[in-house]
Amino acid sequence: MKNAGQKNTGRLSRRQILSAAGFVGLAALTGCGSGDDGGDSKDLSKKQNGAMKNYRAGQQFKAAKPLSFSLLHNNNPVYPLKSGWLFWKEVTRRTGITLKPVDVPLADYEKKRSVLIGAGDAPFLIPKTYHPSEVAFVSSGAILPVSEYVHLMPNFQDKVRKWKLEPELDSIRQSDGKYYLLPGLHEKAKSGYSLSFRTDILEKHGLTVPTSWDEVYDVLKALKAEYPDKYPWTDRWSTNTPFPCGALFSYLGQAYGVKAGWTYDNLTFDTTARKFVFNATTDAYRQMVEYLRKIVAEKLIDPESFTQQDDQAVQKLLAEKSYVISANPQELVQNYRYNLGKQVKGAKIEMVPVPLGPAGPVVLGGTRLENGVMISSKALKSDTFVAMMQFVDWLWYSDEGQKLCKWGVKGTTYTESGGQYRLEPGISLMGSDPDAAKDLQKDYGFFNGVFTYGGSWDLVSSSFSPDEKEFQDAMAQRKELPIDPAHPLQSVEQEQATLWDTPLKDHAIQNTLKFVLGKRPLSEWDAYVAELKAKNMQQLVDVHNKAYDRFQQANG
Amino acid sequence: MVSVNRPTRGYRVFQGVNGVILTLVVVVTLYPFVNIVARSFSGERQIRAGEVTLWPKGFNLTTYKIVFQDSMFWRNYGNTVLYTVVSTAVAMVLTTCYAYVLSKKHLKGRTALVGIAVFTMFFTGGLIPNYVLVTTLGLKNGVWAIALPNAISVFNLLVMKAFFESLPTDLEEAAQLDGLSTYGILLRIVLPLSKAVVATMVLFYSVSFWNSWFSAFLYMDHTDLMPVTVYLRNLIQGATGGANAGAGTEQLSQVGANIQAVTIVLTALPILCVYPFVQRYFVSGVMLGAVKG
Repeated sequence: MKNAGQKNTGRLSRRQILSAAGFVGLAALTGCGSGDDGGDSKDLSKKQNGAMKNYRAGQQFKAAKPLSFSLLHNNNPVYPLKSGWLFWKEVTRRTGITLKPVDVPLADYEKKRSVLIGAGDAPFLIPKTYHPSEVAFVSSGAILPVSEYVHLMPNFQDKVRKWKLEPELDSIRQSDGKYYLLPGLHEKAKSGYSLSFRTDILEKHGLTVPTSWDEVYDVLKALKAEYPDKYPWTDRWSTNTPFPCGALFSYLGQAYGVKAGWTYDNLTFDTTARKFVFNATTDAYRQMVEYLRKIVAEKLIDPESFTQQDDQAVQKLLAEKSYVISANPQELVQNYRYNLGKQVKGAKIEMVPVPLGPAGPVVLGGTRLENGVMISSKALKSDTFVAMMQFVDWLWYSDEGQKLCKWGVKGTTYTESGGQYRLEPGISLMGSDPDAAKDLQKDYGFFNGVFTYGGSWDLVSSSFSPDEKEFQDAMAQRKELPIDPAHPLQSVEQEQATLWDTPLKDHAIQNTLKFVLGKRPLSEWDAYVAELKAKNMQQLVDVHNKAYDRFQQANG
Repeated sequence: MVSVNRPTRGYRVFQGVNGVILTLVVVVTLYPFVNIVARSFSGERQIRAGEVTLWPKGFNLTTYKIVFQDSMFWRNYGNTVLYTVVSTAVAMVLTTCYAYVLSKKHLKGRTALVGIAVFTMFFTGGLIPNYVLVTTLGLKNGVWAIALPNAISVFNLLVMKAFFESLPTDLEEAAQLDGLSTYGILLRIVLPLSKAVVATMVLFYSVSFWNSWFSAFLYMDHTDLMPVTVYLRNLIQGATGGANAGAGTEQLSQVGANIQAVTIVLTALPILCVYPFVQRYFVSGVMLGAVKG
């Protein structure tokens, strides 16, 4: 009796506990089984629900019946997502598709994206993905190898063909020969950054606006002679990046034909030798370092440029402690010119086309691809897969779709005549009309970075300010250097390569700065190369060359 | 024998040095905060020139006005208040019950229950399994995604358990003899005696929930469900200026200079106001377990 009573007061026997645990384990295993993989992934006959039968390039996509797709939305705090945007309504009206956005703050977009994909809970469409971040998801099979399905996307293929983007697409292929990202496509490379000068000061001292780096040096020397206790040039874009003065090194390197600053890569393809070499030890890279060293040594550039916050740099410009600074068209107009206008009477600041260097009038290759869209593998299992691919093709890659995303609805948000686009009165874009009641991005949801990128030169340049137009026109005349050929690594090689890659990159960047700032004499260059060799530089180059040869053999 | 009435010279020197060091610590801790408050009221020119230290210069309320006008800020603030209140309430109920039960030495399986709790202090399932769990339970996009997974902090649990253990058992036995049920004992005898530790725990939990942004960021799919800490984080990490809050172009520069300071002040303000009033509980709480009757 007592025993029976004791059993009932809840103390489970060990056997009971073990068997319960066993059942739970079994249930879990069956629960997370592989599931149905939708049959053969190439057979799309059962996934045509809602798709258009003969969808062609240039045609308006309209789903055969109303569908909805989930989408990861990178919420930019400058224009926070509103469910009432005209953008959503217009997309549904034209295509019959309702987009269901999952809203993620811009600040932690990548992190949330990783969690959602890892948990298997990601939306079907994942835009605003910058190459090579999609590589991390390839091995898990969570994202679709979209290159296998671009035959469903006539506009995409049409643009790739028209603008000869095949080499660019090759550069994002993985070791299996497929690519996993639908990138934003540009007809022409868009240059972003260059040097800007206080042209009123130049005029005052009878100096001409420089067009080459040698002329830049002369102008800086002349300014230094006039203002001996100022640094004529102070720079920015040194924070939140592994390579300080990322913009400066980027366009300075371009003049020497090397990738530096934000565009820095350990490896670069030597077109004469037809193999990959280490970037930071080439002669051209050294010449770039020597040039900047000269500028620093003669006190023509503020040494704090490499460490200060952007705000401090701009403050020095506004306080007239410096007259030269790196710029992009937006900063030039909305920050420098606007603020200078308030503080200094008669101040004029202009951005020049990137000064020319030994490499001549060139722009670095590979800038015709922009961030793009990943597709979740789960989308393949849905019967509306084909319709979804057609929709993506229309919205992001067709001329009409791109125009809609960028400018909105003709007659409501913009007017167009002869290739000139004008916003309707009362609507402003990025401060173009301070008195306007509404903003194209905030109130209507157009010109949203999640949907608007890439396109023909006409479309891309339609939103340029007059300064940007001048700048881009000049830069567009330059020759584009060939893009590095594909050299995708296999996953085993990838791990080893990453272990070598990071220390080499850090060492190269740190020493670039040391040489430039004079903390290390340039006579020690060979010692620096030897140090890199000791960090497995040659092995890294060899791995990539092997991958390059392998890819060449496999894909002609 | 040392006289306790007249402090020795050594003791007075110790007091002096102690006072100086503690004052220094106070100053170092307080300075950044005072600086932020000053910045939030200062003009942009003075901020950028680095002139603002302890006192606002160029006093203006522009950024405050702009932030107050942003409906999303208030929406998120309301969310923070809601999440904090609900989460703290849930956490307090659960922690108190668990701690009280664990403090009873005659509980069967007590070691196992304590072990389970302590185990979670060292090991955790990881980000993705937690996410999958919360999602499959259907808690996403609601206050429960924040309240339930983080409801019991094991550290707080163990502190409360230790406190309940220190209460004399005679009291409860007497109450039991008088016919009070277990719940009655908990609510009418034990809790009134535990004001100190309960207040402390309420404060710990509410500050922790007030400041938390990660759970909300992870489990909420829409901006209007986020707490104000995510709003602030977005400002600091994502935005380059105050344009998101609806500033006009002329005000952009001013707003850009101190919007972070303003948002920090507004977010920390309620906690600041609550602390001085709850402080007396800490003092008496510390003393309570010190002298055994």
